[in-house]
Amino acid sequence: MSGPLEGIRVLELSDGTTHYGGRLLAGLGADVVLAEPADGSPARAVGPFLDDIPGIDRSLAFWADNVGKRSLIVDEDADLLELLAAADVLLHSLRPADAQRRALSFAALSARFPELIVCALTPFGQDGPWADYLADDLVLMALGGSMAGCGYGPGADGLYDTAPLACQEDQAFRTAATYAAIAVLAAVAWRADPGRSDTGRGENQRGQFIDVSAHECSASMTEWHLMSYLCSGETYKRGPHPTLTGADGRQIAALTPDFLGPHVFTRMLEMLEADDVAGALSDPAFADPRHRAKNYGEVWRALKRLAQKHSAEELYRMGQKAGLPWGVIRSPEETLDDRHLAARGHFVALEHPELDRAVTYPGAPFLASGSPWVMERRPPLLGEHTAEVRSQWSAPR
Amino acid sequence: MALEGLRILDFTRLGFGAQATLICGCLGAEVIRVESTLHPDAIRVMPPYIAEPGERGEGFGAATLANAAGAASANRGGIFYKYNTGGKRSITVDARHPKGLALLKDLVAVSDVVTESFAAGTFARWGLGYDVLRQIRPDIIYVSMCGFGHSGPDVSHVTMGPTAQALTGLTFMVGLPDRPPAGWSFSYLDHVGGYLGAVAILTGLLHRRRTGEGQHLDVSQLEPATALSGALLLDAALNNRPSRRAGYPTGNRRLHPPTAPAGAYRAAGTDNWLVISCRTEAHWQALVAAMDRPAWTTDPRFASLTGRVEHANALDALLETWTSVRDRYEAMHLLQAAGVPAGAVQDAADRLERDPQLAARGHFTSLGNAEVSPLPLEGVPFRMSATPPHTGGLLHRGPPLLGEDTAAVLAELLGMTADDVELLASEGVLS
Repeated sequence: MSGPLEGIRVLELSDGTTHYGGRLLAGLGADVVLAEPADGSPARAVGPFLDDIPGIDRSLAFWADNVGKRSLIVDEDADLLELLAAADVLLHSLRPADAQRRALSFAALSARFPELIVCALTPFGQDGPWADYLADDLVLMALGGSMAGCGYGPGADGLYDTAPLACQEDQAFRTAATYAAIAVLAAVAWRADPGRSDTGRGENQRGQFIDVSAHECSASMTEWHLMSYLCSGETYKRGPHPTLTGADGRQIAALTPDFLGPHVFTRMLEMLEADDVAGALSDPAFADPRHRAKNYGEVWRALKRLAQKHSAEELYRMGQKAGLPWGVIRSPEETLDDRHLAARGHFVALEHPELDRAVTYPGAPFLASGSPWVMERRPPLLGEHTAEVRSQWSAPR
Repeated sequence: MALEGLRILDFTRLGFGAQATLICGCLGAEVIRVESTLHPDAIRVMPPYIAEPGERGEGFGAATLANAAGAASANRGGIFYKYNTGGKRSITVDARHPKGLALLKDLVAVSDVVTESFAAGTFARWGLGYDVLRQIRPDIIYVSMCGFGHSGPDVSHVTMGPTAQALTGLTFMVGLPDRPPAGWSFSYLDHVGGYLGAVAILTGLLHRRRTGEGQHLDVSQLEPATALSGALLLDAALNNRPSRRAGYPTGNRRLHPPTAPAGAYRAAGTDNWLVISCRTEAHWQALVAAMDRPAWTTDPRFASLTGRVEHANALDALLETWTSVRDRYEAMHLLQAAGVPAGAVQDAADRLERDPQLAARGHFTSLGNAEVSPLPLEGVPFRMSATPPHTGGLLHRGPPLLGEDTAAVLAELLGMTADDVELLASEGVLS
């Protein structure tokens, strides 16, 4: 068994924002090679660092997103072109003007390499009035709409005393990099499709240009917010989401999705009655969703009585037993102890021989019975594979 | 289009599963939603509702309770329209009717991919488990999308986006120091899980092309999320610095790389905000110049990035004296013109009505159907030069009415006549 992208060569030329997408392609079996400047990908300079000692090969941020890749140092763009002659995909983060200046625009590349798939991930895409604007992830989370929907609620006076909030760890760029990977997969599939649709550009023009705008990606990930506005004319005002605090002070996400049907309340009531906290909810009037909607405070008070008696972990299990989509709020590292993920073999330890230690990474994002996730290489040292890649990629395939 | 010729028989419901097939539809795959008039997809019948002409729909909230039973139509649930572009078609078949099950098996035989997002085991109980599917078509690509996946000790657990966000650390990662997490107000992991569902479908396609073999791709809503926490897992495990610690998460501040000023600052008006993020000395100098060099910017505490990070609270308060009297967009454009990363905090109305970049990029596509007037809907946020995706899919059409394609699909794929379809309908098979 082998990855579905086995034999596909991806050259990644990046400020770091594409790394997460390159990692997905590597997990699918592609030969993903980072083309790095002599001082390394900018991501290598981002902490935290191993043992808090900065170093070109010690960035944990770099490690997290570069599992499974190789690294080669490219000093000059002429060398890059040589490599591109052997590549299937160029994944890059160059602004349009920079690509143009370096003769790496798609027009220039496709004239030489008609089969090359070029994917550019940029903050705002290749064109439009903001194409040259600057953005880090925080700016993208603001413009895209995630922030407007996240944060603490207003005070008693209805005014907000805290700002809208963005999630840590670059979620807008991760979404964009995921879309980049999807588009590359689609382009690879089309390129190899013997029955592919004709674009009128001739048989050998099988490459193409993929233009990923991180702003658009960020703007399309707020689920119901746009539709809610289109339907009601009102925009969502940020505020608390449904949580319960357990006896141990930890919290759970406590959704009560009545909209899925009457069974949701029935089973919740059974759980509450078994714990002697149902109170007024045992009144048959509460079986009527309209009555419940008007008196939802009673439902919530009963749930709070339940929460006071149990730890968050217990509440999570109790809710799930009653068919409720409850989940304990964990910190990211607490997932490492999750028995379910462990049983599915999710986390994978990779040897870092130069450190004489193994490091545990998140593994397959899904389980594939026929083409398991490829996860064998630890993230590359800077330039570790320069000679090896040059030799392999210059040989006839 | 890139996936032209790929046929997906799609049993997904709600957001997570439908996001995956939406992407494939926008890329040209033929997506046939198999639905039920007896148990319509909840997002078809729950608020917010798309208004009748001339009236306002209901908002979302406690109103979710006045649910399915109260919905006048299965075609006005707003969230359905978010997740079912891509030119998806809709057929209705009662899988519990023996003839319905037989019909579905005939459709499996002429499909490349089967997707579903039921609780683990449900699809198999219908008589459509992977072992059955591959007897019908040995190279079938079966993609199940279920909260906890199809194996493991907690396989019976159910999720919605916020559940998975809580369990995987994403809720925890949004908040101010030393307060409970603020979390997300939407199902980010319905999207992310759906993206990985699309990757799974494409994986199945590419693998089949290489080997001629099908497979079962088991997508959960948890595993796609663990790598979203970036370096946090490694920092906890290797540096003994768990993210559950005093002072973390750090609101809008980022510890790596050290950045200051960085955050959301009040702008003029009520609850208007402007994000500014100065990672480099050049960003800071540009900010100072764009603000016309207020005296406080010469404070020696702010002379270096290290100093600005150390005194970020004082710096933020002073910067806010500048932003709070300015329009968020005017300030954003002023700062961007000077070379400072900055952006207004935009909500859905802003994106639709005040974002010239999204407008210029054609981010929204106006699509409707026989019951709903065209709405500005979203598809996939990327372009492809040779195989352009389209929000309306291969057919350039809007989200389907419930069952609107039943007769057409049965005719095209199974060669049924109008009389055949009529007979099945009269027997209750097509409900």
